[in-house]
Amino acid sequence: MYYLANGLPIGAIYALVALGYSLIYASAGVLNWSQGDMVMLGAYIGYSLHRLLGLNYVLSLLISMLVVACVGMLVERTVLHSLRKRSSPSINVVIGTLGVAIICRNVALAIWGPDAQPFPSPVGSTPINIGNLRVLPQDILIVALGVALMLLLQYFLKYTREGKALRAVAQDRMAASLMGVDVGKADMLAFAASAAMGAAAGILIAPLFFVTFNMGAGIGLKGFVAAVVGGLGNIPGAIAGGFFLGLIESLASGKISSGYRDAIAFSVLIMVLWLKPSGLFSRTTKETV
Amino acid sequence: MKSHKLTSSLKGLHKWVLIAVVLSIPFVVTNLYYLHLINLIGIYSLVVIGLNILSGYTGQVSMGQAGFFAVGTYTSALLMMKLQAPFWVATVMAAIVAAIFGVVIAIPALRLTGPYLVMATVGFGEIIRLVLVNWVPVTKGAAGLTGIPAPSFFGFTVFSERSFFYLIYAVVALGILVAVRISRSKIGRTFMAIREDELAAESMGVPTNIYKVAAFAIGAAYAGVAGSIFGSFSGVASPDGFTFDDSVGFLCMSVIGGNRSIFGALIGSITLTLLSELLRFMQSYRLIVYGAILLLTAIFMPQGLSGLGPILREFLSRRKRDKKSYDDVQCSQRKGR
Repeated sequence: MYYLANGLPIGAIYALVALGYSLIYASAGVLNWSQGDMVMLGAYIGYSLHRLLGLNYVLSLLISMLVVACVGMLVERTVLHSLRKRSSPSINVVIGTLGVAIICRNVALAIWGPDAQPFPSPVGSTPINIGNLRVLPQDILIVALGVALMLLLQYFLKYTREGKALRAVAQDRMAASLMGVDVGKADMLAFAASAAMGAAAGILIAPLFFVTFNMGAGIGLKGFVAAVVGGLGNIPGAIAGGFFLGLIESLASGKISSGYRDAIAFSVLIMVLWLKPSGLFSRTTKETV
Repeated sequence: MKSHKLTSSLKGLHKWVLIAVVLSIPFVVTNLYYLHLINLIGIYSLVVIGLNILSGYTGQVSMGQAGFFAVGTYTSALLMMKLQAPFWVATVMAAIVAAIFGVVIAIPALRLTGPYLVMATVGFGEIIRLVLVNWVPVTKGAAGLTGIPAPSFFGFTVFSERSFFYLIYAVVALGILVAVRISRSKIGRTFMAIREDELAAESMGVPTNIYKVAAFAIGAAYAGVAGSIFGSFSGVASPDGFTFDDSVGFLCMSVIGGNRSIFGALIGSITLTLLSELLRFMQSYRLIVYGAILLLTAIFMPQGLSGLGPILREFLSRRKRDKKSYDDVQCSQRKGR
């Protein structure tokens, strides 16, 4: 129970970031390596709005998500769109978005400086006792808001016109474009939604850790792990993968050793990939002649 | 005819001129810091040559190359420090141990493609680093190893930047030679067949799994040798030098230089190492510009810098051809009259 309570909040964060990777992979078929830095940007923008301008937490969350979504769209227009026009190999998308990540990280460094900024939790930091568990209120907020955002994304994908277009593109890009779906717009939307999810993750996790310019690297990598474990391009898989990874980490650091926590997480990942080469939660189809 | 002979002998001359230029570098570049950078470029290019064989030729993208690099460094350093092994034995062992690790990661990687493969290699690199941090009795943990002995051959110790230069570039030359031989052999052609269409290669009777494992082992062995030299070169080794960012750096060198060419590895390591030095005057904006250049290269040079070569050559030959055909036309017109 203790490990569950510990693993859920961080799992929710990973799930939000993993959703970003999966959504972009589903629609555009590429890896966006700047996803982690969207988390960082979200945290910083939220920090500026909340701490420096004194806006309330939820409002700064929403504005920050909006701003970072615009950054995401910009990344799609500048990187993916120009690479697609030249039909470059997909590794170039990785390098290109990596360039974006380096730019974002250092722009943030130039604006907000190298010091880690504290971001106090809006719900206080006195633990609440539930049964015999002591839980931080921020943990509850993370899980609640995280799940709410995931449901919102599901609603958007299932019931709105744009969401349906996105799913159509994910299923068959060619067919969707022949049926009159604006494929470029769907890509932009995927990038925007992913960036917004990342930003939300950033603001949610900020009160647990400090806000730093290179916080994106670690969270981005873990989100990627979660997305791969769940099966890239699989939305429910990404969510499940996020929580799965959170629990594994919590168990590993509690039961074995916190130094080896990440090593264990990665070993589990390689094991999962060995047994199920396209993730735990996706149906595998082996390509044959 | 005569001109053809001349150009071919010129080509032969090129090679000797190149060798002479390379050999004279330590005498021309007297600034020790620059020489240090040039040495580092040599070490990096060894890693990137291996990566190009693995990801450029065979199509297996690895983002864990720093892991093999670390295995090489620690294997050779520990052999030299604990068992007093000579440098060349330690280096050969570093290559072998790294290759074994390459085989180990290749086995789960055999069934993986695209992002899944990337993830597995990232995971591998991180596991290696975390083990180095946590296995304190052997690796001294985060503090790392210090006092890694300098290489010595027949009583002659390689210690100065200048002598390291000759050692490193001798190994680089050997590495290039071997890599070019591999890429032009049956093995190299099989690697490319796997990259282009693994399924087709398999159905033509190519044992793709064995070749993929071999590609991982070769790529890892190159990184292992580079790591061994790096350890003795810097005298210290700590897990901080083998992070995910370093793996990504190697991949950038490979892609920017052009990963389908052996010389692309050299071009990539030279370009990115010099670039990050040249931008130093911009101070805090350095990495912003660095990122932007990375981004622009990825967009506008899909084949990397070495991809520019054929384009340039074609452009030049087309101009020559155009001129020639123009002359021909003039000639025939004159005849017609």
